[in-house]
This record gives sequence, structure tokens and C-alpha cells, in this order.
Amino acid sequence: MKLPASLLRAFVDTPLSSEEIGDLLTMAGFELEGIENDVLDIKVMANRGDGLSALGLAREVLAKDPGSKPTALYEKIASMHGAKGEPSSRIDLQSENCTRYACAIYSDVQNGASPKWLQDTLTAAGQRPISLLVDLTNLVMLELGQPLHAFDLEKLYHERIVVRQAKTGEKLTTLNGDEHELKPNHLMICDAEKPVAVAGVMGGLETEVSASTKRMLLESAHFDGSSVRKTRKELGLNTDASYRFERSVDPNGVVRAIQRFDELYREITGAAGAGVIEDVFAKEPVVASLQLRPERARMIWAMDISDGEMTGYLERLGFTVSAGSPMSVTPPSWRPDVTLEEDVIEEIGRVHGYEKIPDLMPIGTTTRGGTFGLYAVIDTAKKTMLRCGLDQMISHSLRDVSILDFNPDRRVTVRNPHSPEMAYLRSSLLPGLAEAALKNGGRNLHIFEIGKVFVKGDYEVDESPELGILITGAMQEVHFGQKGAPQADFWTLKGILVELGHLVHDDISFELPRLPDHRFHPTRQAGIMVDQGRLWVGTAGQIHPDYAEQLGLPEETYMAEIDLLVFFQNPDDELHVKPISRYPAIKRDIAFVISKSVPYADVEKAITEASGDVLEKQSLFDIYEGQGIEPGKHSLAVNIQLRKLDGSFTDEEANVVRDNVIRAIEGLGGVLR
Amino acid sequence: MSTTLDAIGTIEERAMSALAQATGTAALKEVEAAFLGKKGELSLLMGELGEIPNEARPAFGKAVNEAKSRVQAALDEKFAAAKGGERAKQFERERIDISMPGRRATAGREHILQLTTNKIKEFFVGLGFEYRESPELEKFEYNFTALNYPEDHPAMDEQDTFYVTDDVLLRTQATSLQGHVFEDRKPPLRVFTVSRTFRNEAVDRTHSHTFHQVDAFMIDEGISMAHLKGTLNAFASAMFGGEAKVRFRPDFFPFVEPGVDYAISTPKLFGGKWVELGGAGMIHPNILRRYGIDTERYTGWAFGLGVERIPMMATGIDDLRNFLENDLRFLDQFA
Repeated sequence: MKLPASLLRAFVDTPLSSEEIGDLLTMAGFELEGIENDVLDIKVMANRGDGLSALGLAREVLAKDPGSKPTALYEKIASMHGAKGEPSSRIDLQSENCTRYACAIYSDVQNGASPKWLQDTLTAAGQRPISLLVDLTNLVMLELGQPLHAFDLEKLYHERIVVRQAKTGEKLTTLNGDEHELKPNHLMICDAEKPVAVAGVMGGLETEVSASTKRMLLESAHFDGSSVRKTRKELGLNTDASYRFERSVDPNGVVRAIQRFDELYREITGAAGAGVIEDVFAKEPVVASLQLRPERARMIWAMDISDGEMTGYLERLGFTVSAGSPMSVTPPSWRPDVTLEEDVIEEIGRVHGYEKIPDLMPIGTTTRGGTFGLYAVIDTAKKTMLRCGLDQMISHSLRDVSILDFNPDRRVTVRNPHSPEMAYLRSSLLPGLAEAALKNGGRNLHIFEIGKVFVKGDYEVDESPELGILITGAMQEVHFGQKGAPQADFWTLKGILVELGHLVHDDISFELPRLPDHRFHPTRQAGIMVDQGRLWVGTAGQIHPDYAEQLGLPEETYMAEIDLLVFFQNPDDELHVKPISRYPAIKRDIAFVISKSVPYADVEKAITEASGDVLEKQSLFDIYEGQGIEPGKHSLAVNIQLRKLDGSFTDEEANVVRDNVIRAIEGLGGVLR
Repeated sequence: MSTTLDAIGTIEERAMSALAQATGTAALKEVEAAFLGKKGELSLLMGELGEIPNEARPAFGKAVNEAKSRVQAALDEKFAAAKGGERAKQFERERIDISMPGRRATAGREHILQLTTNKIKEFFVGLGFEYRESPELEKFEYNFTALNYPEDHPAMDEQDTFYVTDDVLLRTQATSLQGHVFEDRKPPLRVFTVSRTFRNEAVDRTHSHTFHQVDAFMIDEGISMAHLKGTLNAFASAMFGGEAKVRFRPDFFPFVEPGVDYAISTPKLFGGKWVELGGAGMIHPNILRRYGIDTERYTGWAFGLGVERIPMMATGIDDLRNFLENDLRFLDQFA
């Protein structure tokens, strides 16, 4: 809210500079956002409608600064609080969304341009001067926080005011020239026949005051904030009046605002005032008193504020305080935000000063801090990726569609996206990784991301933490001291995933997918399995060459995506340390030709079973196909390392194991070379 | 006898002469083997001890040992000199240009948001806080209702929200974790999170529709605003250095009462001006009661702030968009 300092100083006589007033208000919770040409720009909290006026902010200055004094105007306005008008048959309150409606009739009104000081004040406050009558309503709103509206009385049918909900089919053209179709949840000011203003929001075009207006009806009313909010949102309107009603306006200041208008109008024009103020209210607002335990306030603030100080602070803010234990505290009518003891405690702290709160570290029960369960698994996955040399990416969840999406039929869409390019929640981390790869040149990259992905399930959306990997080209930077860096291939990717399995103590295996994933090369992809191959956790493989082409990525790009929730749900294999032998190991190489249709996993398993406990390690160290080898077959060279716990291996013993292994390989159709 | 002693002298002379002619450590090792080694000439003389009359044996043995010592001493001296010369040449030959570029370590690099998160985690875990997360795609109830937002209140205007359905939205604040924790935990408790949040806002240097928040809260007996301020001061020091100070001023958030807006200042940044970081306060009694927590026995504090603000302030990043664009030229500056 822009408030000229002069308007504030009309209510408070203070030695403080405008900057000092701004700082004081900031420390009271009304943040000074800027100050220009002696106009304060104050951010008022959403629950403090009373702060949207010079009177309200003056009250805060007076509460916090003992050196500031109220002006005569402040005292006079304060004494007018709670003023009531006369009963009226003109006004008919039909909706409970209006609790009070007051008005005054002006005959032979004088309208025209406002005096310069008034125009300047409104301009400084960011408003456009229109005519004396309208400008005065705006000035009183700035001063007291009560929105006013001026009607051309002669345009009100039967000169009546009916406050009611709109009827279906009714229409109203508002001051800004827009025609609105009204609905029964819209609160309207009507004459005897039709709506003439959107209550608490904006007047109608037809009934506005003009230069030719002879008689005026000045409205000052109190509307329910929630009703005003719903109405103005549906009608797409947002005005200074609705802004105030949404945040609260003092129901006991309704008549006073007309009195203040009347005083200013008479001063400026020298014309006659209104005479009777008509005032209809459903019921007197009742403000409940609250109990305040001063020791509770001292505990919350950890400050030694005396009972007397508390009483003083609250009274300066307009609260009524009765001594006792507990104290009985009644908030003023302009403070509907204060409904609990905690709210009163906050008021005490606000005036006493947040800057005086001491610094203490937390006390109490020692709790176990840390990262557990799923979050520990996620941390481990992240550490593994870093250790494997992958760089971490973090990208947007809101995206456009991508050919790398998990399943186009199960995308989750945002109903009110900011733009079409971010209308979908990511169903996979791969589109983001591909984008990151391209952003960074698309070559020689090794990156990963861990984040949530969203897939529409049968009943609700599945939100799952996933790990995505993308590697392509050199896995290390080219360096003069090293001839050629290792290049990313399927085996690099598989090695990374096996490492992940080791670190989360879960056995990871790879299977040919039953249904190939369209995003991957059809014959170079694997399902990633855990729990002895029973549970699918993701897919790894080379990107489909068509997609690589479309995206502009190298064909030799390898990707994986893994659901990390499964690792957490599938309990870890317990780690049991095996004893290590103190005797030397013995090695044997075995080379054989075998059909390429025999999966290496079968060979590996046969070797394990044929060698028994003494097999310490086996490794495939050479693959050859081509000249000298029948088509469809390849030559594999395997090294087995044998060791016993209780003694050295003799050559003869090693040969026996080797021969068993050879027989097992022959059982798979292999022929020793 | 004297002939035999003469023989010792002769061998010693030959040894000394061989030493004089030998150059380089390899040649010296050969001389050592020929005279002093197990089968060296001087060593073999001891084998002849049996042929020497008893009374002459001590003198013979002494003479052999003395000869060996003299040869050994001469050899050691020459060997040391030769070795030194050879090393000097080697060092010259092996000289490298240390100004040439190093080879990049093969471990991967963490994202700046991760590095910041790590720091935040270290701080809170050290104070006995447990790390938790809750859904990004959240029910309206946890994001607003459970946090004491009155129905249709202007406070919600400050958080333009992305909706998937009427009841399901992209969480606007990490505080949405609170309801989940209070459903399955009883006080005393200390919990924190670092979480992704969303607001339906246009993207520019200082705004993004996607950002991250730290949210921490604790409940115990006798917890006051002073414990909040103490913790935030310690947090500010951990993030921005020991001179960082926190300023509290009143503010309104539906989920705290009393409510606080806090700013930090440190002489190193922005000339010591106050920079607003986030919101905090005592957890609203309506929230505690909603989850059956005895407000007479327990009080608690909560605070939240934007994660991105921390490295932005500490390192001078001036464009929020950098964080989620994954440009390695940006990220490599931190890791």
C-alpha cells in the first residue's frame, strides 16, 4: 500500500523521520518495501486489514514509540469509533453476507474537480483523481480503511437499497465498462429492481455520480470477506475496496467514515452536509474476550516482560485488559485476527520488540538425527554414481512431451500450466538427461539424475524416486599423459549398475526384457532385476538409433532408469563376511569355442557349479570371432582362480578342477581350443 | 704363515685396484661380489683357517677381517659417490613441467543444489534432526488445510498453485511435510526436509515455477522463540560464516503463531544489508491440536527458506534459471 507520509502524520505527531517510521513499521510486521518522494510503500500482512489505512498504521507507531503522540484528528476519529446512525426503511438487508449498511443522502451536491492538495495526495497514493465526490471517498478509505461508494440517488429505482445475492440471469455493467453475468453466489447492492453495484468490489456504470448528479447516496457498509473474495474472483475484478474487505474492515467504523466524509465535504465546498445517517445492522458484532497467562507469554518469548508492560502494550493497541491471573483481554473490533491466547502473545512480542529475543539452542529430549530408510538408499545411489564418475544433474519436473517419456498414455498433466511447454509432469528422467546432454554439447558425457517421476496409475498417480543415467563417448577427459580414454558402452553401464547393487546390498541381475522398451535399441537392452531376478526395477541399454538420430545424440549413447523405491521395499541382503585364506592361489586359463546363442550367464553358472567352493574368482578375459571360428560361434577365454582355506593347492588338484570345468563347458556344447 | 699373510695383502691390493678402476654402481657391485661376497676372494680366505696352526689362527683371522673392513670402507665411500652422481643425472632426465594440466579425477561432480543440501543436512543432523520427505504431488489438505489456512483466504493468493485435480496440486511449500509427520510421530520430535516446491509464476532472473525449500521443525517441552532464534543464528553461521546474524520481525503465515520473517546480514555480503531469507515461528496451536498434540505440554517451532537463496547469496549467482538448466560450465564452478 502506498501511503503519503503526510497522511500518516495527520494522525500521529512524531519526531521520527519517514525512514525511521518505515523501519519502525517493518519491525512491527508492516514491511517497508520502498520510500519515494515521502510516500511509504508498506506491505501489509494478509490477516491485518486494519493496517491498510493511515489510522491503523498510526496506531502501530503510537504503540511502539513512546515519543510519538496522537494528533487532535486521531483523538477525534478515535472518539467517533462505534458511532451509530438512525434506523432506516430505505435499506433492506437480505443476505447475511452483509452485516451492516449505512448511508447518507446529499441533496444539491456540488461535484467537480478536487482541490489540488487532494488530487496530489491521491496521485501520490497511486490513485487517479476523478471528481470531488469520488476522490473524497478514496481519501477517507486511505485515512480510515473503510471503503465508501457514491451513488447517483436519482438513478436508484424507488431510491431504495436492497442488499441481496444476485439472481440467475441478472446482469450488471461495472464502472470499468465490463458487463457481467451474475450468479446467486454473487453479493449485490440493488435498488428496488436490479443490481446497481457489486457489493464491496465495484459500483455500476449506470448509477455512478457525475458532473450532473443532483442528489447522492453515500454508502458505507460491512461485507463478509470470503463472500467478497469469491465474487470478485469469479467476476475477474480486484479493487482497493475488495482488497480491504477480503482482509477485514472494522464493522464499528462504518458510520464514522460517513461522518469523516461529511466533515471534509463541508470544509471543501462550504455546502450543507448530510444530516441523518441511516444505519442498519443485522446484529452488533460481539468480540469474545480471551484469557492471557502472562507466564505463558514469558515462556514463549523467553523474555522477562512484566504484567504491567503487557497491559500497556495491549492497551496501546486498543485492547481492553482486566488484571487478574489469568488476565482477561478483549481485542478491539478492528482486530478479528486475534482469536487465541497465542495471538495475544504475538501482540505483546510485536510491541516489546522481536530484536530483543535472546539466542538459545534447543533444549529437551535428545533425538536421533540422520537419514534413514528410503532416503538412505537414495543417498547411497547418489554416492555410487559419483564414485563411478558420473556428474549430477537436477532438472525440471514440469516438461513438454518427449519421445523418451515412460509411457505416453500414463502422463500426468497440469490443469493450469503456465505454458504448454511445461504442462506435463515428467514420467521419466531420461528426457531431462537427453536435454542436459545436448545442452552440454552432446558428446563425451557421463551424467545422472535422481528425482521424482510421476506415472498415472489405475486409481491414482504413482510418484516414485528414480535414478536415470546417460553415458556417451569418453568416460574421462582426454589427457596428454594417457593414450585414449575408455569409451562408454553397454558394459560400462552394466558395471555401474552392478556397483549400485553392491552398495545397496541387493543382488542386481539382468534379463532380456519380455516386452522390449521402445526407447532402447531392441537387441541391446536389458531389464534390471532384483530379489533373485523376481522383481523388475528398470531398464538399461543403448538408446534406440532412431531416437538418437531424432534427438541429435550419438548412436553410442547408453541410458538406464531405475525405480529406487523398489530397493527400499525389497529388504537388503545381509552382508556376511567370508574368511580369507592365508594360502596362495593358483590360476588356470581355459579357451573354448561355443555357440553365440549360449548366454554367457550359463557358462558362468556352469563354471561356478563345476569348480565348487575353491573357486575364488572367474573372469572372461578374451572374446574372439572371425577367421578360424565357425560362423555363429565365438571363442571365449576364461581365467579361473582357485584357493583353499586350509592349505596350498597343488598343480594336480588344480588340474582336476580345471577338467571338471571343461566337462561342464562341453556339456553346453563348447569345444576346448 | 707369513706367506699366507702375504696372500691377504695381495688380494687386498687387487681389490683396491679393482675398486679404483670401477666406475658406476653396477661395476662397484661386481667388485663387491668378487672380493667381499659370500664367494668373494677375501671371504674364502676364512675357509682356509683350518689349515693354519692353532697359534697363528687369531692373527690370521684378524688380518682377514681388517682387510675386509678396509676394502668395504673404500667401497662404501666410492659407491655413495657413484650413486649420488647417477641419481643427479636421473633427476635431470626425469624433470617434468609441473605447469602442464593435471588429469581430472574420475569421480563425478555434485550439483550445486546437492552441495547446498549436503551442508544443510550436516547442520540439522548434528542437532538431532531426522531427514524426511513427502510427496511433490500433494493433496490440497496437506498443503493448505492441515497448515491452518482458512478456507478461501487471501494468504493463498501469495502462492499461485498448479493443480492436477481439484484436490491434488504441486506442493507450494515444503511445510506440507508437517501433516505427514504428525500423523505417524509423537513429540518430542525434530524433523527437516529439503524439498522441491512449485508456484505458478513466470520465469525470470529472480522467479521460477520450480524451486527448493528447506523446512525444519521441532516440538518438545518448553520450546520458545529463543530456541528458534538460536537455531537460525547457528544455521546462518553454518551457511554464511561466523559473522552472519539473523534479524527477526513479525510476519503472518497461517501455520505459525507468533510468526516471524527473518533476514540475515553479514559484513561480507551486500555491504551488511539485511536480506530476507524466509518465514518462521511457533507452530500454530490449531495444527498441534489437529494432530492431538497437547499444547499445554508441548510447544514447537518451524522455519522454511529457499535453498537457492543460500548459494545465490554466498557466491553471487544472479539468475535463478541457472539452477535447473544443467549447464556444466555453471555446475563445474562449484564441485
